[in-house]
Amino acid sequence: MHHYLTLLKKDLTQEFRTKEMLTSMGIYALLVLVVFGAALAQTASGFDILQMSGGLLWVLIVFTSLLGLNRSFAHEKENGCLEGVLLIPLDRSVIFLAKATSNLLFLFAVEVVTVPLFYFFFLTTTTPAASFWMIVAPLIVGTVGIAGIGTLLSTITINTRGRDVMLAVLFIPLVYPLLYACVSATTAAIIGSEGFMDVFAPALLLAGGYDIIMVLLSWVLYDFVISA
Amino acid sequence: MSALEVSRLTKAFGSRKAVDQVSFAVPEGAFLSIFGPNGAGKTTLLRVLATLSRPTSGSAQLLGIDIKEAADKARTHIGLISHSPMLYPDLTAEENLLFVARLYGLADAQGRVGEMLDAVELKHRRHDTVRTFSRGMTQRLSIARALIHDPAVVFLDEPYSGLDPHAVEIFDGLIDVVRQDRTFIMVSHDLRKGFDMCSHALMLAKGRVVAFDEKASIDFAGFSQLYAQTVGMGVA
Repeated sequence: MHHYLTLLKKDLTQEFRTKEMLTSMGIYALLVLVVFGAALAQTASGFDILQMSGGLLWVLIVFTSLLGLNRSFAHEKENGCLEGVLLIPLDRSVIFLAKATSNLLFLFAVEVVTVPLFYFFFLTTTTPAASFWMIVAPLIVGTVGIAGIGTLLSTITINTRGRDVMLAVLFIPLVYPLLYACVSATTAAIIGSEGFMDVFAPALLLAGGYDIIMVLLSWVLYDFVISA
Repeated sequence: MSALEVSRLTKAFGSRKAVDQVSFAVPEGAFLSIFGPNGAGKTTLLRVLATLSRPTSGSAQLLGIDIKEAADKARTHIGLISHSPMLYPDLTAEENLLFVARLYGLADAQGRVGEMLDAVELKHRRHDTVRTFSRGMTQRLSIARALIHDPAVVFLDEPYSGLDPHAVEIFDGLIDVVRQDRTFIMVSHDLRKGFDMCSHALMLAKGRVVAFDEKASIDFAGFSQLYAQTVGMGVA
């Protein structure tokens, strides 16, 4: 446990000192919101933003996560720090857990700012359902999956040429089932039509199940991936 | 007991053998310098021996511990100083050493960090981030990092790369201080310097050992002539 806390503390100290990931993800998320705004500015008055908002929110989260995940190992690569950690006798899966936790916390921090901004930009002219607050559940479940799978993939791509593209190429297909389930659950919660729980609950269960399988798989595979 | 006993060690990347059937042994307290032209497999050999890369075949025992079967046990005895300092530039000198000391599970991590900062004469800069350090200071801190858990075997991978003459002098002084009772394995391009420092010398070419002996049995002129010949032998 002390290995996990030491690794996590190092990541948090570094990020709070440089604010590199948080700033870049935050600014990027804001810019994506502006682009969405421009793209939807000419839609007809009959256009129902509620139907699309779940999808748009997850586009924002996935793209912002990709940017952050690409940077999450930049410090480890610089100066050969990752090799320094690998020289220490510790369980490799603890490195995964600590890095995935720090990525998760940074993604949550960005979401805390961007989700209200998303609401302000797109949902103030309409009336989301009373169940809107329930989007917190797919946001948490989806972000956990993104952080877990993304941490594994960013480790795989750290030494590849064109790692930014490579991460996206591996990441999007792998998180697709999770993304699909989270978009369904989020949209159901925002619209909140009668019987929305019939969509919301199974979608959330699917996302949760996918999280458990993929995060466990990432954890088990991490020793092999990082040693290779 | 041998500090390091290597037997028919091979590391292949696909069909290319970067290290090919390498065998040698050095006693505890020895200083082994490994020479060879670019692409001879020196750094690959060092990485395998330091447990950063798994061998394809063969074996290596570090203080009697099989590095393939018991890598974690071997790691407690290994220190590595490389041209990459392995330090986080946005953490302070103290934070960097504390991070490593805690991962090694040292009982009095704070006390040991203070000792090591004293040893490398960086106590006055302990609250400064590594990013603000000169190359020489960073390298001194990387020595403290590598030795914080008091390893018995220290690997040096081109440690002089990028150091100015004054920093080299300081580095040499530090190595002299910490040399007692430790085994050093150094990869170097600098034949004269590496030879002066060593008790044993090994020359690699195309991944294979072309010469290995105690320094006392080696004639430097003949050794440097052999080195010149290996430069033309190409990459492993």
